[in-house]
Amino acid sequence: MLQLGGSVALLLATGACAAGSQSGSSGRSADPAASTLRIAVSSYLSSWDQDFVGFDPTALMLYKNIFPYLVDYGVTEVSGSKILDTTNVMPTFAESFEPSADQKTWTLKLRKGVKFASGNEMTAADVKWSKDRAFAAKANVAGVYRTIGLTEPDQVRVVDDYTVEFAQAFPSALTPQIQAISLYVFDSVEAKKHATAADPWAQEWFAKNAPTGGYFNVTKATQGQEIVLEANKGYPGPEPAQTGTIRISVVPAAANQRLQLQNGDIDIALGVSRRDIADLKNVDGIKVISAASNDQVAIQMSVTTAPFNDVNVRKALAHAVPYEQIIANVYGGDARPTSSLVPLDMPGYDANGYPYKYDIEAARAALAAAGQTSINSELVFATDNDTQQQLAVLVQSEARKAGIELKLTPLDPATLAERRQQKNIPLQITSGQLWVNDVEYMLATSFVSGANLNYSNYTNPEIEQIYEQSHTTVDEAARRQLWTRVQQILAADVPWVIICQPNFNLPVREEVAGWVQPMDGLARLRYLTTSG
Amino acid sequence: MRILRFVGRRLLQLIPVLLGVVVLTFLLVRVLPGDPIRTILGPNATEEDAAAARERFGLDQPMWKQFLDYLGGLVTGDFGTSIQSGGSVTAEVALRIGPTLELVVLSVSLALVVAVVLGIWSARRANRAGDHGIRIVALVGNSMPEFWLGLVLILVGYSVLGWFPAPSGRVDPDTNLTPITGADLVDAVLTANWPAFTSAAAHLVLPVATLAVVIVAPLLRSVRASALEVLHSEAYVAAGAHGLRPRTLLRGYLTRATMVRVPSLAALVFGSAIGSTVLVEYVYSWQGFGQWALRGLLYRDYPVVQASVVIIALAYVLVFLIADVVHAILDPRVKI
Repeated sequence: MLQLGGSVALLLATGACAAGSQSGSSGRSADPAASTLRIAVSSYLSSWDQDFVGFDPTALMLYKNIFPYLVDYGVTEVSGSKILDTTNVMPTFAESFEPSADQKTWTLKLRKGVKFASGNEMTAADVKWSKDRAFAAKANVAGVYRTIGLTEPDQVRVVDDYTVEFAQAFPSALTPQIQAISLYVFDSVEAKKHATAADPWAQEWFAKNAPTGGYFNVTKATQGQEIVLEANKGYPGPEPAQTGTIRISVVPAAANQRLQLQNGDIDIALGVSRRDIADLKNVDGIKVISAASNDQVAIQMSVTTAPFNDVNVRKALAHAVPYEQIIANVYGGDARPTSSLVPLDMPGYDANGYPYKYDIEAARAALAAAGQTSINSELVFATDNDTQQQLAVLVQSEARKAGIELKLTPLDPATLAERRQQKNIPLQITSGQLWVNDVEYMLATSFVSGANLNYSNYTNPEIEQIYEQSHTTVDEAARRQLWTRVQQILAADVPWVIICQPNFNLPVREEVAGWVQPMDGLARLRYLTTSG
Repeated sequence: MRILRFVGRRLLQLIPVLLGVVVLTFLLVRVLPGDPIRTILGPNATEEDAAAARERFGLDQPMWKQFLDYLGGLVTGDFGTSIQSGGSVTAEVALRIGPTLELVVLSVSLALVVAVVLGIWSARRANRAGDHGIRIVALVGNSMPEFWLGLVLILVGYSVLGWFPAPSGRVDPDTNLTPITGADLVDAVLTANWPAFTSAAAHLVLPVATLAVVIVAPLLRSVRASALEVLHSEAYVAAGAHGLRPRTLLRGYLTRATMVRVPSLAALVFGSAIGSTVLVEYVYSWQGFGQWALRGLLYRDYPVVQASVVIIALAYVLVFLIADVVHAILDPRVKI
């Protein structure tokens, strides 16, 4: 999980945001308006089973809204926009989620009387069954639980019908955020009816049947065409769904989403290209939401593959990339320049973390320092990603001036995944956002030895040591010190060329309000409203 | 009886052909670069996660064992489990094949009728203005990429004129059509759901038109060439010289003789139409077999790729078989 592929980042950056939200309201569910919101997505979800699904952005966004997540991020306001507040993880379907004094054991208390669509009450047994299932799946949740010292089902204990304990191997500052993305619950009583000896976790049933009990329940799903969500009136926590019905239709072609939005047949288009969005800004009845996002665009350089195994060659490329030109021409000015490999807005960001500017003379000098006057390499990007292609062409043209000749290599998803696994791509464009807004998580996924997003194959003993130390460092000031040092090291080693952070753009009908920008990339549809 | 024996013999010949396709596809899809397990796990999965997933899909087994398991499944109609969705491939095929067949059959039928009528009409007026006009239109139709044509038809038919529904599916979900075959028109008839029938028909107009325009051109040119050949043949000239009525000449001598070539051509066109549906389905949000097979290929979803190739091969063989039989019925010189 973690970092979203480039082509899907737009789709997921569906934020959510909030003009009509009732931030801080508590207790009972509001009576959702009788209004209907129509949203177009690019593909139908591949499965309803979150534990066993492939990496499917549409599915992951839907899960966030239809599974009961026991804790979730709050909402905060930044520069007039509402965004998910990753420093505030609050109970939603749960009553409380609190750590012990040593922060190793977290106690989850459930609200009484919360029900799934089947009528079964949500109890500690459901939490236990769901977490046992996640460990058995050995997929996403099991993967992220490792980072907070949860590796065995026995570490999740039922105390009573409404209390569950999570006994971590070590205290971790990441726990609230990791649980915010992992603590979803199945209706285990219903599931057991469909389990068999050969299929003890009812995989077959859950692949075809939507989960229930979240902010919305799926009332209708027409395979490949449309999914209808109805607000769950039994939701007991804060910030219930603001719209009664959401109809999600599948429209793969971006041009068709644009046409339907213009014609008023949909209210929100989640798969429109940047070029179409730029045009839509001037269309009557449509507005384009623009919000600062934590989506990062970078070129990862393989530090173990010649010629980029020489730090001076990496510095040469870092000086040869036309950062401002890319922001202006590829993103139409709608992106933020950044000065660190740690994303803007992430706690600990240091503006001295990437001291490289576009300067062809400096690039030539760096190449000379490496004992080279010219080098050749391939630059890999995703074959279906127009933005990456435009970016690659600009980089190719400027890098040539510094003596860096790049061959552009678009790769299909499976070949790209395999070559990334083999770590044999000298240069590749990456884009996406981290699902947990924290440097420890970023190190775990991108900069320590063996990390799966570490396509650069980068290792540094001091970073490894800081990463180990950060596991059990829960004091915020101490963590900030660690992150400053991390950025100094990354500035010297330059494993990535960090290009920019494009803003999130979403075209909607004028009547739509309530977006909250999601820092994990998964839209919270409950905040959305429409007056249409 | 002779035709039945012929059909039986051809169906038996299917077995080695399909077996060859099964073996080749099984091997080729594994030779392609790309790891299907990595595409489903997401980037932060560890090697243990990948190993667990491989075990779940039987990909940790030796190749010969995987092949035997696959073959055993095929015998019972089980195409395996999709790596992307975790669902049964057989069930997914059943959902996807109906809509695509409906689209292709309607498009090919429409293209055939148009090609035969216009092709013969054009040949009878060879080198006159009407003939030139039709040939130019056919050339233009042949030159237009289906993707572009689809977008233009949507822009005009849906956005500008507002005559057709939005390209976001095959039938209005509010009609509550119960899927049986997956072909919405057929399902609407079977369930006597007339609002769904109207909606499905309206949704079909533009995609069928797109596909038909693209495939009609080569058909039309062949029919015209065939008709010209007949018009210049000794038999036709002799029949004309005997003073047969124009209608008899047209129906009995020209049309029937020209139609002799059509079954083989139609079979070829049917195959290329299945290929064209990949883009047409994308443009019209059709969610049929073409999109499903393409996604399977992009993500190296072995069972999906294997199933889609086997089904396309099966469709080809069956369509050619039908074409041969029809050819034999139309052409008394052919003995089967």
